[in-house]
Amino acid sequence: MTATSSRPRDGGGPLTGTGAMVRLALRRDRLRLPIWVLVVVALVPRFYYAATSAVVPTPQALADATRLIRASFMRVLAGPFFGAEAVTTQKYFLAAYWVEFLLAAALMNILLVTRHTRAEEQSGRAELVRAAVVGRPAQLTAALVVAAAGNAVLALLAAVAAGAIGFTAGGALLFGASLAAAGMVFAAVAAVTAQLTEHPRGATGLAGAVLFVAWLLRGAGSLQAEQGGPLFWLSPIGWSQQTRVLAGDRWWPLGLSVLLAALLVAAAYALAGRRDLGAALVAARPGTACAPVWLRSPLALALRLRRAAIVSWAAAFLAVGLVLGGMTGAMSVTDLPIFAGADFGRAWLGLMVFTGSLYTGVHAVLSVLRLRAEEVRGLAGPVLAGPTSRRAWFGSSLLASALAVVALLTVYGVALGAGAALSTGDGRLVAEVAWASLRRVPEVLVLLAVPAALLGLAPRAAGAAAWAVLGCSGFVAVLGAYLRLPGPLVNASVLSHLPWHPLEAAAPVATVVLLGLAAALTGLGLYGLRRRDLSTG
Amino acid sequence: MTPAITVSGLVKTFGPARALDGLDLTVNTGEVHGFLGPNGAGKSTTIRILLGLVRATSGTVRLLGGDPWADAVALHRRLAYVPGDVELWPNLTGGEVIDVLGRLRGGIDERRKRELIERFELDPRKKARTYSKGNRQKVALVSALAADVELLILDEPTSGLDPLMEAVFQQVVAEVKAAGRTVLLSSHILAQVETLADRITIVRDGRAVESGTLARLRHLTRTTIAAETASPVTGLDRLPGVHRARAGAGSVSFSVDAEHLDAAVRHLTTFGIRSLVSHPPTLEELMLRHYETEEAAA
Repeated sequence: MTATSSRPRDGGGPLTGTGAMVRLALRRDRLRLPIWVLVVVALVPRFYYAATSAVVPTPQALADATRLIRASFMRVLAGPFFGAEAVTTQKYFLAAYWVEFLLAAALMNILLVTRHTRAEEQSGRAELVRAAVVGRPAQLTAALVVAAAGNAVLALLAAVAAGAIGFTAGGALLFGASLAAAGMVFAAVAAVTAQLTEHPRGATGLAGAVLFVAWLLRGAGSLQAEQGGPLFWLSPIGWSQQTRVLAGDRWWPLGLSVLLAALLVAAAYALAGRRDLGAALVAARPGTACAPVWLRSPLALALRLRRAAIVSWAAAFLAVGLVLGGMTGAMSVTDLPIFAGADFGRAWLGLMVFTGSLYTGVHAVLSVLRLRAEEVRGLAGPVLAGPTSRRAWFGSSLLASALAVVALLTVYGVALGAGAALSTGDGRLVAEVAWASLRRVPEVLVLLAVPAALLGLAPRAAGAAAWAVLGCSGFVAVLGAYLRLPGPLVNASVLSHLPWHPLEAAAPVATVVLLGLAAALTGLGLYGLRRRDLSTG
Repeated sequence: MTPAITVSGLVKTFGPARALDGLDLTVNTGEVHGFLGPNGAGKSTTIRILLGLVRATSGTVRLLGGDPWADAVALHRRLAYVPGDVELWPNLTGGEVIDVLGRLRGGIDERRKRELIERFELDPRKKARTYSKGNRQKVALVSALAADVELLILDEPTSGLDPLMEAVFQQVVAEVKAAGRTVLLSSHILAQVETLADRITIVRDGRAVESGTLARLRHLTRTTIAAETASPVTGLDRLPGVHRARAGAGSVSFSVDAEHLDAAVRHLTTFGIRSLVSHPPTLEELMLRHYETEEAAA
């Protein structure tokens, strides 16, 4: 045939096709990636404005806010405050929000890398690609190249934004680089986890768990010493912060990030080069040949389909609850005279109970949006073609989601309370915190009912709108008073109405109203669903 | 000329499961080779090994003179692949996907692409998420068939296509063959392979149970006979080489080994034949026969 027939090795480098894969990834993410970067960058001036206009309008207020943020119980969430001997609003901005920017950069990279590696394999598209002239590690390389490019753009734009809010040029660049470094480390983490699990969700979850551990280590290290103890130095998030932007500007901690990212990338390549396409480190075990006897109703099916998600979320809630609850003891001790008498332990638990409610909301939205995926992928068809009505299918699925919400809030509340009881020696906290957690069920049910209503009325928009409602509600509830947002806007948030137990008293009216709202939204969803066409394909 | 594909003693295990158990396969250059077998026989695993997507546990595999795992990239310049279950990027249009896949393979013949899009009646401007299974399949087919390659590996390529499109596919593969290219066509649609294939290999439980030209395989097997007779047929069971005889009032059907055909037909004439239908074994029968022997052995 051709001259190359006898020489199959010609032009067959392992990275062949990387350029084309990069262009394909950019084409696929031409909206997603810019939106991520721009939102993160836009939050720099937004948060700075919040800090200057609302929290620290006068030198005295700035000094008070600084003292608060340096208190031990705040250091887990924010800080460290570097350069406190000469406080400025820019330094305050860093102490208050830097961690959030680092977490956002890490999350952006985890999702990006998983999306272009394991998700492609699991969908089967990678098979088409690899059957073409594309080297084995080309897809992984392309994902990392796109992540690196995204991080570079993020670093530059964040530096510009930081410059615009009064950072020194060097500080602004270092701030941008700190985000890119954290991003790159977690791109590399995701590159490894993508080799380990069969499903993209597992890869994302594993990388997310690593991120959470990094966050915990940073927090625990902050409790060890104000500028970060030994545990702080075990966290890639901590390395980015140890650059001490605007308080000495040192670049060398980012060397640790680069080193770790390089090691992880090398590990990912070693794994990727050796394994079969689609294979995971742990091979799937065979399941049972017959359905168990209880699996005979739409509700049982809905619970069975959600079982893995519920169990893994519950396990995560259990671990996280114990750890966060365990910090209560350290929180209760305050060295600030102006806060004498305040119950910081319960304030912390109230905040953590609320956070648990927000994350349970995430689970609820995912659980309800499953229905849309089932419908579009044709999984709902066979069920509805049988003697199962739409009402039964929809209702039992939502009931399964609601049961999961109650179960998760219980597990989380008990774990948080147990952790708090262990760290303070006050056994009553278990029941108190568990009850506080359960009292947040109504607001999560509303978060669950929002996508349920949309599934009936505007199914195409259900995903985006449900996440927007959840995100905006959480944002407004957490920062509404802080940012001095107008009252009606704060009240529009689903999450603004229940008091922060266990410190604050119960609110029976809000509870009843929220439950009624959840029921009404669910009814609307069912009304819409029974009248519209089912989507397919 | 060296064969395009040579596989011998191929074994692939996934944990405790043995997907391939000493499979042999030879595909000569320039032929259309039918690769037949029931679901789970190991066809797709074999193909994934040929593509270097999966690594063989043991055995030797040569593809276009190279090693499919080590030389994957270089070999892929010279082949095109269509899977049985095509997934596409939902936010790209069909036309974009065809180009992307074509470019990944190192370029696409524009004229041929337009011609194939027209013949397969594909609308390339729709987003891939709106395509039915058949249309996703067409996207992969157009992209592969428009490639200027020596070898086409097609894994149940027409699942989801309607009979009209199936006919178009048959024509196009015939043209590909006329142009001197090699085709490995995996299928369980036997009629398709029967028309297109020069030679076939039948796999079962990870092993090749039969390989050769259709004529040669048929020679080994039985002819099926259905007849109507004036008087009820008796004594068929006692004839050598006659199987599955079913006699009704005035009608009879049975299958008979090639070497005993003459005696069987002669036996029938004694009962007064009114009509006689005989047909060579179909591939279904070839495969069913393998099952029977397995069951008999078990």
